Amino acid sequence: MSVSLGRNVFAPRVAQKGDCLHHFQSRRFIRSSARSLTYAKDLFLGKVNKAEVFPFPEISKEELEELNQLVQPVEKFFNEDVDSKKIDHEAVIPPETLNGLKELGLFGIQVPEEYGGLGLSNTMYARLGEITSLDGAIAVTLAAHQAIGLKGILIAGNDSQKAKYLPRLATGEHIAAFCLTEPGSGSDAASIQTRATLTEDGKHFLLNGTKFWISNGGWADIMTVFARTEVVDKDSQKKDKITAFIVERAFGGVTSGKPEDKLGIRGSNTCEITFEDTKVPIENVIGEVGGGFKVAMNILNNGRFSMGSAGAGMIKRLIELTSEYASTRKQFNRSLSEFGMIQDKFATMALNAFVMESMAYLTAGMMDRPGVPDCSLEAAMVKVFSSEGSWICVSEALQVLGGLGFTKNYPYERYLRDCRILQIFEGTNEILRMYIALTGMQYAGKILTGKIKEMKKGNVGVVFEILGKKLKDSVVKTVDFGLTGKDGVVHPSLTESAKMFEQNAAHFGSTVESLLYRYGKTIVEEQLVLKKVADVLINLYAMTAVLSRTSRSVSIGLRNHDHEVLLTNTFCKDAHFKNNFLLTQLQKNSPENNDANIKKIAQEVIAKRAYVCSHPLDRTF
Amino acid sequence: MSQSDYHMHYIITNYFEVYFLGSFQYICNSSAVVCDVIIMNAPRQLLRIQCIGCIARILGKPVQRVILPTGAHLQTPGSQHNYGQLLRPFHCSAVCSTSRPSRTQLEKTVEDETLNKDKSLVTHDDLFERAARDSKTKADFNRVVDVFSKKDIRRRGHVEFIYAALKKMPEFGVERDITVYNKLLDVFPKEVFMPRNFIQRMFNHYPRQQECGVQLLEQMENYGIMPNVETKVLLAQIFGEKSHPMRKYQRIMYWFPKFKHANPFPVPHVLPSDPVELARFSLTRIADDLDAKITIYQYPSTDITETGEEVMRPHIVGIQSPNQRSLLAKHNPCRPVFVEGPFPLWLRKTCVHYYLLRADPVPSEEKVEEEFDPEMMGPEQSLFYPQRLDLDLERDMGDDFRFDVDDVEEGPVYAMCMAGQADQVTLSQWISGLQETCPILGQIPTVFRLDSGPRELQTTSDAQQTPEQEVETDQITEEEPLHSQRVKQ
Repeated sequence: MSVSLGRNVFAPRVAQKGDCLHHFQSRRFIRSSARSLTYAKDLFLGKVNKAEVFPFPEISKEELEELNQLVQPVEKFFNEDVDSKKIDHEAVIPPETLNGLKELGLFGIQVPEEYGGLGLSNTMYARLGEITSLDGAIAVTLAAHQAIGLKGILIAGNDSQKAKYLPRLATGEHIAAFCLTEPGSGSDAASIQTRATLTEDGKHFLLNGTKFWISNGGWADIMTVFARTEVVDKDSQKKDKITAFIVERAFGGVTSGKPEDKLGIRGSNTCEITFEDTKVPIENVIGEVGGGFKVAMNILNNGRFSMGSAGAGMIKRLIELTSEYASTRKQFNRSLSEFGMIQDKFATMALNAFVMESMAYLTAGMMDRPGVPDCSLEAAMVKVFSSEGSWICVSEALQVLGGLGFTKNYPYERYLRDCRILQIFEGTNEILRMYIALTGMQYAGKILTGKIKEMKKGNVGVVFEILGKKLKDSVVKTVDFGLTGKDGVVHPSLTESAKMFEQNAAHFGSTVESLLYRYGKTIVEEQLVLKKVADVLINLYAMTAVLSRTSRSVSIGLRNHDHEVLLTNTFCKDAHFKNNFLLTQLQKNSPENNDANIKKIAQEVIAKRAYVCSHPLDRTF
Repeated sequence: MSQSDYHMHYIITNYFEVYFLGSFQYICNSSAVVCDVIIMNAPRQLLRIQCIGCIARILGKPVQRVILPTGAHLQTPGSQHNYGQLLRPFHCSAVCSTSRPSRTQLEKTVEDETLNKDKSLVTHDDLFERAARDSKTKADFNRVVDVFSKKDIRRRGHVEFIYAALKKMPEFGVERDITVYNKLLDVFPKEVFMPRNFIQRMFNHYPRQQECGVQLLEQMENYGIMPNVETKVLLAQIFGEKSHPMRKYQRIMYWFPKFKHANPFPVPHVLPSDPVELARFSLTRIADDLDAKITIYQYPSTDITETGEEVMRPHIVGIQSPNQRSLLAKHNPCRPVFVEGPFPLWLRKTCVHYYLLRADPVPSEEKVEEEFDPEMMGPEQSLFYPQRLDLDLERDMGDDFRFDVDDVEEGPVYAMCMAGQADQVTLSQWISGLQETCPILGQIPTVFRLDSGPRELQTTSDAQQTPEQEVETDQITEEEPLHSQRVKQ
């Protein structure tokens, strides 16, 4: 119900393209009727909420026109005025380039227009991300500024904070940074040591501590800093809680270290920042004192989706570059593009770009819907899939050129170095896989606990119900979530792929149940299991995204939609069999599962902290 | 009895059956009979009754072939000669280095022995005793062996000589030297003890000599010395391919390589002579923690005070891991820590002693439960991923592979040390050294619980150590090149 209501209210809003106030108001209004539906989480229960992902989200014609008007100058700027090779070589973005970016308004893409930004939605932000990603250093600089740096003020700041800081941040006059990571806490945010103590007059906090790997740390004027503060909780006990602060460099006591010399994204500035008795006024607390954790979580969890479109943008450029080379270069009297193994690489690149794009825009569309969309799981999946896909594609593109690709004469080695960071920052892929799998497990576990407990007790009724269901499943082979058929949401040309998806989704649901039965809450310790769970879910979401996108394309007759059908069917078949294998590995006593051995190898190697085997040339006599 | 032995036996009994039956005669492919690769029931199939008579053929032809097929590479006269040529200069080299006068004296002794053989009993032990009255080194040992080998072409009494030599080897410090064993083996006359026909092969041919050869190999085995190719060639020349010593050799060569790395914590044969190095080695061996760091609190030295007294400053070497350090930092200062020891650690034949800094187990009422902040760790709260799930489901029994183990609570061990002196003064120096990294030790009462028993034992061993040490230093000087080589490698 709430969804259809949301749509109705949303529809007229879309027409008012620029009216941000209205935009926000309509959002506020909807927030009261909280949407309970989630897509990825429900997959853990073996449910497919097709209403969430079908039809593929789209933007209004006016919005599209506005976006295209924005995109053209940005594209032109990146093609003509950005010298990526020089940025990479000199490890600094020249001021004229930065000024160009500021003039284009790229420092305030998502800042509402009333504060001087472009006030674009997530979808439109993703579209611009496709272009900015053509230079990794610029993309990271911009992302650190607005995707995380000023996001805290944007989503949790109060009006006076917004009015004070956002205008100058949106124009790029001030640059923002996000300071969470510390020397002692990489991914473990709980061990934050930076401390903020209230001064005696109660009007300021004194900030002390060091933050590590801060993008834009060298030139940021405004920083979102997370620090421990002492909070008196309900039981009137003193406790340490994390609080978010807006810190201006002008407050004093802020020193930046030397910029790190990095493998890739060399033009971006990454350094250490030390706070020494930095006096932060109490009104600069974002949210409430002790509520910094939620702020950090919201900033990080929903900011990752844009990596999908960024990766896709990069791969699309690489396809253009390499296909020209492959078609002109002759080997054995045939052009390179005639060889199957080279063709394989182009197919890989096209498939990856297509899937990334679909996932990114589906997620962005979901986030743009009214209400408080909980898309953190989806955003994390987009990040994991696209970061790994980009790495593979860049490597394949380089391979097409062979030795030439390895030289600095071509941009491939720079792309390769730049895109390596994608798997590391904004939560490493390992951490995100854990997040994806565990969040879903927690959600499914809450609902399934009762049933599993009954089963463990040996409740005859429940056992019979399950046996009956299993019997039914084995007799009636096909699972039907209603994606296809008479009232189906998937285009008939994709029926086979949709069936494969449905099969996987059903199988995934039952696997999650059996995993919960087997491991209960101790599944937190089973990282290899969780990795597989996350991988299956990522594949499922990717399948959903391409099915949804292509169905729309075919239905409205987009140009080259037959190619999309081809890509979708290819990807779904591939993902289906990968999922089947992963799900088989997740069965109990599965011979395909090598986890125990993998663990043992690692344990033996780590106990020695060296490669264990003797040299093959060693002798005993 | 190994499988191939069994085959031999089986085939031979078959020979006899056929022979005693008298009416049958068989021809068989003799090379196949002896070859090790015959499968169990092969001989039975080979018993082909083909013609009657011709016992001579059984006795003559097969036996000749018996030797040939398996040992062909050794048995050809040319190659055998070559082996001899190769080996001889090798062994002579040791002789060249010996000094002239003592050699003549030794030769005289040997001559005496041979001349007076009927009259007096000069044992071979005496030969060694006399040869090396003042020094006992590998060169001396080799000299005795050379003299014995040269004095008589028939090598009379070589079995007794070898037994005597084996017994004397540890005295000369050559019990781990493969070249010396090979040299001893070379004392045996070649080809004399090789069986020439199948009856000789069947029975224990020259049992005393074979027994002696086995004994020699056994001693090698006991000292963990692996025979080499030279040993094999010598054994083949002396006893032949299928002899008992050869079998012994084969068994050693089968098992030794398999067990060579059976010990995951090997102790080197030559321990470091420097007490600091020895302590470093022993402490890392006990600690078995790659993070643990050795600290040398004091190097051994001798000071001469103004009054002319010599003051020995013993070495103090300690080990502590970062984990131990952080545990110590959390120690409740009201509770004492104990310095305990000495505890023995045996490294082959050397015993060293170490001391512990430990505390009593923390009583359960004082244990602080590690606090966990639900906001940081809990489900849907964590920044990156939940550290624990909020579910009421335990691991299923079918997937619970934990063992039911009774844990015995023990107190923490905070550090370990080895010191040159076992008194409280030295050990408190160690504790004050530890204080530099763990300042909390200054507030904790430290109780010295030094056992007198083992300490006395150690002092006696200290007293004994003087002669022992001499022996050890001897050995070390002897084996130093070897050791330094190893270091270089």
